[in-house]
Amino acid sequence: MLQTEIIVPAELVRLVLGIVALAAFVGANAIVLVWLERKVAGHIQRRPGPFEVGPYGLLQTAADAAKLIGKQLTMPAGADAFLFWLAPILAFLPVFVLFMPIPFGENLYSLDMDLGLVLILAYAGFGVLSLCLAGWSSHNKWGLLGAARAVSQSVAYEIPLLLAVLAIAFMTGSFNLQAITEGQGPWPWQWNVAVQPLAFFIYFACALAETNRAPFDLPEAESELTAGFHTEYSGMGFGLFFLAEYANMIVVSSVATVLFLGGWQGPVFSGWWWFLAKVYALILAMMWFRWTYPRVRFDQLLNLNWKWFIPLGLANLLVTVAVV
Amino acid sequence: MQTSALVLFVIHALIIGVGGIMAVASRSLVRALVGLIMTLFGVSGMYLLLNAPFIALMQLLIYVGAVVILIFFAIMLTKAPAGGEEERPNQVRTYLLALMAGVLPTFVIGWVVLTDQPASINAPLETGLKALGQGLMEPYFLAFELISVVLLVAMSAAVILAFKRRQSR
Repeated sequence: MLQTEIIVPAELVRLVLGIVALAAFVGANAIVLVWLERKVAGHIQRRPGPFEVGPYGLLQTAADAAKLIGKQLTMPAGADAFLFWLAPILAFLPVFVLFMPIPFGENLYSLDMDLGLVLILAYAGFGVLSLCLAGWSSHNKWGLLGAARAVSQSVAYEIPLLLAVLAIAFMTGSFNLQAITEGQGPWPWQWNVAVQPLAFFIYFACALAETNRAPFDLPEAESELTAGFHTEYSGMGFGLFFLAEYANMIVVSSVATVLFLGGWQGPVFSGWWWFLAKVYALILAMMWFRWTYPRVRFDQLLNLNWKWFIPLGLANLLVTVAVV
Repeated sequence: MQTSALVLFVIHALIIGVGGIMAVASRSLVRALVGLIMTLFGVSGMYLLLNAPFIALMQLLIYVGAVVILIFFAIMLTKAPAGGEEERPNQVRTYLLALMAGVLPTFVIGWVVLTDQPASINAPLETGLKALGQGLMEPYFLAFELISVVLLVAMSAAVILAFKRRQSR
């Protein structure tokens, strides 16, 4: 009898466990973040936010999720069914890949990869693609306009984002997120943000634009385009886009934490709690911006990028190269 | 490991093949584009199988992240109608010629590679990023710069075309 021994590599076990844990993490975080966003919005606008369902409205998101799951999925007449349903799936699936190389703690990562940063940048492109597909296949004017905006916005803002990220990669000499974390010290003045404040500013602004968060939420723009690219989606079709948006917020904040804020290291008791605290601080800042600033006009958005962010990013990169 | 590599190769080859057929045979331009994306994705998987993760990720970053999205933009801006020229059925002769155009290079390249092994077969299995960068900056410098000249020409031509149209209005 032929005996075959199946050897399961340790990395594979780690990857599978990591993906399961990340799925739970993304789901739990989305529920917390939606509640938090509404509370923050409420308090900024001097109203209480949700408080009827459960204590402090804590169960509001769970009720909303149940509603979304229970809703009928509809599709407009004349839409391309295959592409129409492909889009929300394509929006949400890459999120897991984006989370894989992020080191939440010293030993808390699912994939140790030398090219971790490039992996995140490469898979982030699928998000825009899903917006395009959604907008185009909806057979709807608003959808198409939203998709066209999403493309020009994300293609433009990807450039300064890459320039800012490259400055950090040049400083550390690595694309490995764990190595970049360890290249910084535990105290705030040892973090990369102290050396590269401009790169941090550019990264964060571009990250807001890439995740379609206000003041750069032109692809959605409720007041002009109804809901932009996801106008025609009901129930979980919309739910998946929504989940992907919140997951992407966590991803860009996590990458910012790793690149600029020292990752999981903190002055005392380094560990994942520091990582989460930093990520949540950045997300709160994103929510704060959303409910404080009005949406920019489209020409303002593109001018800001081509006339300020790209030249500044290039100059910053040149100075970095000269110093390194 | 040999069998698992073979299985992965077949899976990726299938992804590439199905994507390619979808790209040439579908009736709507955007579906064809999705087929193209599938093919590019499969090719990126092939690079991973070849132990070249950096090239694989660059394939995704550049093709899926930028080129495909620009093609998408072009389709949306030109408002390509659903019932365009690509929906008309082709003649059998066209199909035969297309098949030949696809199959012929495969045989030629396959025959050349099998009979005359390329020099890169002696290259180390894993080439680091540093070696790659040095290769681009030292022995292949001229080729690398010439490619960027091509891109520059294309970009300036696009700008000039755009300005011409604005003036005529």
